[in-house]
Amino acid sequence: MESIINDYISRELVRTPEWLPLQNDTSLLDTNILDSLSLLKLVMFLEQQFGVQIEPEELIPEHFETVAHICAFIRKQQQMQASR
Amino acid sequence: MNWLSRGKALLAVPAYFYRMVVVPLAAYLPAPLAYGLACRRGDWRYHRDALQRERIMRTLEGVLGKQLSPMERARVTRDYFRLRCCEIVDAMRLGGKGRALARLVEIRGREHLEAALAGGKGVILCGAHLGLYGACGALLGIAGFPVTVVGRWPSRTDPTMPPAVRAHWRLIIERRIMRHLRWPAIEPEPGQMSSAVQIAAILRQNAVVTMFIDPPALSPDRTRTVAASLLGHQARLLPGSVTIAQLTGAPLLMVFLHRSADWRHQVLEISPPVPLDGDTAAAFNRCIALVDAAIRRDPAHWIYWSRPEDLIELGLLPTDFSRAVSSLCPDRQSLTERRA
Repeated sequence: MESIINDYISRELVRTPEWLPLQNDTSLLDTNILDSLSLLKLVMFLEQQFGVQIEPEELIPEHFETVAHICAFIRKQQQMQASR
Repeated sequence: MNWLSRGKALLAVPAYFYRMVVVPLAAYLPAPLAYGLACRRGDWRYHRDALQRERIMRTLEGVLGKQLSPMERARVTRDYFRLRCCEIVDAMRLGGKGRALARLVEIRGREHLEAALAGGKGVILCGAHLGLYGACGALLGIAGFPVTVVGRWPSRTDPTMPPAVRAHWRLIIERRIMRHLRWPAIEPEPGQMSSAVQIAAILRQNAVVTMFIDPPALSPDRTRTVAASLLGHQARLLPGSVTIAQLTGAPLLMVFLHRSADWRHQVLEISPPVPLDGDTAAAFNRCIALVDAAIRRDPAHWIYWSRPEDLIELGLLPTDFSRAVSSLCPDRQSLTERRA
């Protein structure tokens, strides 16, 4: 999961090459890699790729701070949706 | 509270009384009388507020050059004052079920909106700051469309707004617009990241989202602007509406609200879907071409003529323009400095 998300962000969302190769613990917020529109792109990708539904109120910085945080959030979403 | 503050507070009382009591009562007079009075007030302000009048005329000249003769600039400026006064009447008439305003507004192109909604992916309706732009969403809500608007209320963003005007906006105008929206307005704040996802979530419910594509970008977003030809200049604008439409598959239509020559009737015109093929900048430029045509059709409708600091940020005026007009309105100078 980490490599899939890292590849997507590196390919589609990183606009300045200085952040490449992207580390899984690089802050996506402090580096301005994520903004409102790139977050929408990322959310649509995550929903399609991992079959999860992400609600607007779940878009808090703690879930999208780094690739590692995103993976933890997606795993939690998958577990919650599987248990329903 | 010291004596100076008390004095200022006392001086503001008539302004509050006018905004909170006189305007709401006058707005519900028969339409010819209400809008006739608004036009007279606009004419009075045009003659009395020499600083604002001069500022608008200089801004018109700065952006449009010699495209308007001095006489045309004066007429546009007078109409600008009239329109702003008529828009306050419009907002008052949105009270209750809003029929007092809705019966004065003809919606053209409703079939385009209905056909676009039949696609099931929601619709993005893009407009510009022409007339009482916030009322576009409210009027569509009154007409039965599930709608919300994206935008920041001026009462929260304009630090130079006089207290009586701010209170009037917050307590009366915004509430009257909001009551006709299916969802609360989405207000993007600097650094807030969830706006685009919120818009996509509402589009997923096959709703109409109204957005305005002509404001200057907030400072964190300036790197994402694209060049677009507007009024003969290369403006820097955010193509976010087009990006969201391309990502979600929602059709993008344009909407403009224009006042008729009798000052009381209006037309809310909805365009067919704008083609979104090609890259984002090219599709966005097609939208801006329609905004350009709407502004040129009747320049007085565009609210930015009294905000040269916004037009500087857009790239329609040179950066040293603010110095030329700052002496006309010191409060605005401080706004420009604060933004810088």
